Parts: sequence; structure tokens; C-alpha cells
Amino acid sequence: MKIEILYGTETGNAEMLAEDLEAHLSGDHDVTLTNLSDADPAALAVDALNVLVCSTYGEGDLPASAQPFADRIKATAPDLSQVRFAIFGLGDREYETFGLGSDKLASLLIGQGATQLGERLVHDASGSDLAEDMAIEWVDAQVQTAATQSWAA
Amino acid sequence: MPRSVAIVGAGPSGCYTAQALRKLDPDMRIDIFDRMPVPYGLIRYGVAADHQGTKAVIRQFSRLFERQNVGFAGNVTLGDGPGQVTLDDLRGAYDAVVLALGLHGDRRPDLPGQDLPQVIGAGRLTRHWNDHPDEASFDPAFADRVAILGNGNVAVDVLRILAKRADDLEGSDLAVRHSDRIAAAGLRRIEVIGRAPAHLAKFDPVMIRELSKLPHVAFDVHDLDPDHAHDPRIAALSDLPRPEGAALTVAFRFGRAPDAIEGVDAVRGVRLAGGEVIPCDAVITAIGFRDGNAAPLAADRPGVHAAGWFAHGPRGTIPDHRAAAKALADRIHTEISRQDAIDPGLADALMGRLARVVDYAGWQRIDAVETADPPPGRVRGKLDDLDRMLNIAGTEQEKTE
Repeated sequence: MKIEILYGTETGNAEMLAEDLEAHLSGDHDVTLTNLSDADPAALAVDALNVLVCSTYGEGDLPASAQPFADRIKATAPDLSQVRFAIFGLGDREYETFGLGSDKLASLLIGQGATQLGERLVHDASGSDLAEDMAIEWVDAQVQTAATQSWAA
Repeated sequence: MPRSVAIVGAGPSGCYTAQALRKLDPDMRIDIFDRMPVPYGLIRYGVAADHQGTKAVIRQFSRLFERQNVGFAGNVTLGDGPGQVTLDDLRGAYDAVVLALGLHGDRRPDLPGQDLPQVIGAGRLTRHWNDHPDEASFDPAFADRVAILGNGNVAVDVLRILAKRADDLEGSDLAVRHSDRIAAAGLRRIEVIGRAPAHLAKFDPVMIRELSKLPHVAFDVHDLDPDHAHDPRIAALSDLPRPEGAALTVAFRFGRAPDAIEGVDAVRGVRLAGGEVIPCDAVITAIGFRDGNAAPLAADRPGVHAAGWFAHGPRGTIPDHRAAAKALADRIHTEISRQDAIDPGLADALMGRLARVVDYAGWQRIDAVETADPPPGRVRGKLDDLDRMLNIAGTEQEKTE
């Protein structure tokens, strides 16, 4: 399957997790890894599973590397009705802003017609689970779901 | 021939610089030195014990040492004393040297009374609470009423640790001796005094919102400017709860410059401009950091680069320094690619001359002891005795083998 992993990162934690997912998936799939700061929302793949990894920063904001991407969506309102994505968040339950970054990013994509597959899962940096353990189990389930759909190449 | 870079300081800026260099060059020799036998600097000794989520960035840095062939050389002090490594030593053995020494001296308030024994620097107090060996014997005295000068995130960290009860510290790595000590002080009132008006205060609003989770604290917020009611800081402060009969009151005052710390042998209060005296038994200064004695090292020298707070002053968050480290790594990579590489044997020879170096495996032995059997409700029981840490790291044993 074609899988595009896109990450929004501030401290580098989301970038590392995205790299882990790339390493996990690339044996069996055709995987690319892109920082959201280098991604064009209008060019999101329509024949791939887009896997987004996104942290939360500041007052529940998008991390720095996702902000230009979000700004482009708001400015250009691209038609994303053929785009399918799954999204994994990073957050810290010490703060009430837990997981808001990935929530905002998902809402922006859905607002342009994109279809979200599966549940958005958010890792808690203050918890005891390892992000990669959670994310790998989660991404395998997303890939399995996507594999049953006709667009998945 | 592969290039080599020595980074001095295993805190976030040093580690981010190593990470960025490694992405640019998989073959570069990268060694991170630290004067402590443990890595991670500010993450371990500065970030508050109850902010384990912030400390999670360590998982990126441990990967440098575990998977990305970056060396750790702990218990190595930069200087010209016996057993120390000089900048010339490093410069002679590596193609480039990065100084990421941080800043740890507390900026002093420059007020009458600042030398009274109950005037405590927030950086020093934070290192003490974080079990830095240098501050293991520090014995901060506070009782009843404490004033905190400053309104940045460090002031809020100190306030939060002082205000938390044992239950609130679940999941932290604050040593029980510290939380017992704070509980025994029986604090009834904490005053947070800032020069800036609330809408210009340096703390992040999420840090204020986090305080509302403490049900035993009543917040008494003064000096909010109604013209800035929509400022997120003021909104967060206005939402703080004020339950009846709370055991502890935390007062915030803004736009109030302290004039003096009052008291003859002991702190009695903080006198504000205009004459009002806020009574207190101890003053914690949280008004920034300054360099210790490393400033002469920063002088311009070819091949020597400064990073992080050491380079730019005590400004910027951890991720700000990630971006800065990438830019620095780009510059260093370009610069050393144009030069002839230094013989990599020289770095090995230097390492061999240093006594009692703690390598990454040594740190892992310390880490294993700290995490094997932490106190109830704590994720780690930090060691604060340098000799014991060195013994656990096994340096003596390795040297005699």
C-alpha cells in the first residue's frame, strides 16, 4: 500500500515517532516521510493512506512545523474530498490543552472534505506508555482498515 | 576521512546540536562531554520534577547514544585544573568544538537585604529539588510565608512545587525528603511579585491554568488591568479558584517593583515601591540566569562555537534551541567539510588520558539504580551523591582493570 507519513513537530518528539512509523511500515509498504512544513495541502495523495503525526504546543496550538500547512489550508481552502487520513497525536495530560494540536489539524482537513479513518489516538507524555508502542499498534489497525478499501493501491 | 566534533554540555542544546550534526553526516565522530556523570543537563536538573512530560524529550537524546553512535563522556570538566580538559585539548583533537554549557547562576535582584540567609535563588533551589550533587547539602529555609520575585515560568514552577501536597506529586521524581521538608514548613501564604503588568508577564498561560488543579489553594490575584481582560494571561489568572477555608493562599501581584528585602538577621518582608511591605519569612528570586565563570571561553576562537543559553543568554524554550542547533550544525558542517580532517586517533588519545570518564554505559548503570525501586508514587529515585554515582557508574573498576 502507498502510505504517506506527515508530521508536525516542535520539540522533535513527533518527528522521531514518525520516523519510527516509517521504519515499521517500510518493509511491507511504499512509504514516504514528510515534515508538514514541506507539505502542500492541495498535493496530499489521493491514492495513499495519509498518516499524520502531530503534537500540541503552547496554548493547545499546532506545533511550529504544522503551522504553515494549516495556514495554507485556511488561505487556499483546497478540495480534499478524495483524501483519506488517519491521525495520531502527542500531548501531555498535565495540561488541559492535551491533544488539541492533532484535534485542530484533523478538523482542518475534515473541514475541506477529507475523510478520517479510524480513531484519533493521543499519546500522553506524562504517562507510562511508550509513544511508539501505542502508535505502531494503532497504525497497523489503520493500515488493515485501509487495505479493505478500493482506493488503496 | 570522517570529521569530528566535541560538544561540551549534554543538556538540550548540546544534544540537539549532536542530533542535527548526525542527520547531516552519518559518519562524523560526535562526542558529548559533561561535567556531571549523567547526561541531559537542564532536562534533568532544571525542568520541574512534576513535569515529566517535558522531560520526555530525553527519549530523543538517549537514542543518540543508543542507536546513533554519539559518544557520552561524563564526569569531565572543562578547565585547566588537574584532571580537567582544556579547550585547547579539545580543539587539538576535534575538527570543531561546541560549548553548550548553559547558564546556571541566578541573577540577583540588586536590592538591599539580598544577602540575608533566607534569600534563595530559584535556579539553585530547583537544582536542589532536582537532586543536583552540587546542591545536595543546600538547606533552604522557609516557613509560613514565602515571597517569589519574578513572573516567568521558573517562578511558577517554584510556586507549584511549594504548593503541591504529597498526593499532587504522584508520577513525579521529586524526592520524598524534599516534599516532606516542604510539607513541614507549613506554608500558609505564597506571594508572587512581578515588576511587569500581568499582560506582559513572561509565564505561559497553560502554566497558570495548571495551578487550578490544586484544590487546597486559594488564589488571590491583584493588579489585573481591566483594559487587557482578553489577554490570555489575564484570562487564566482570573479563572483561578478561590475556595473558602483553603489551607494555602497564593497571591499574585503585578506591576509592583520591589525596593528592598526587609529584615536584620532574617527576612521579614519585601518592601514594594510606594512603601507597602509584604510580610514573608523567605524570598525566592526567579528573575533570570547569568553565567558563572565560563564567559572568557566564549571569546571568538576559530573552530569553537557556542550554543544554547551559553551563546544567546537565558532566553528561548527547549524547542527554540532545537531550531538554533540545526542552524549551528549547518554552519559547523559546512565549515569543517572545507578543512582537512584532524586525525581521529587524537580524540581517542585524549579520551584515554582523561581519568574517571563516565561513558553512556556508566550512566545506564546509574539510571538503572535510580529507576529500579523508586519511592511509592515516584517514577525515579535520583542519586545526589557524586561519589556514589561514580561508584555505580563503575569508573574506578574500569580504570583498574
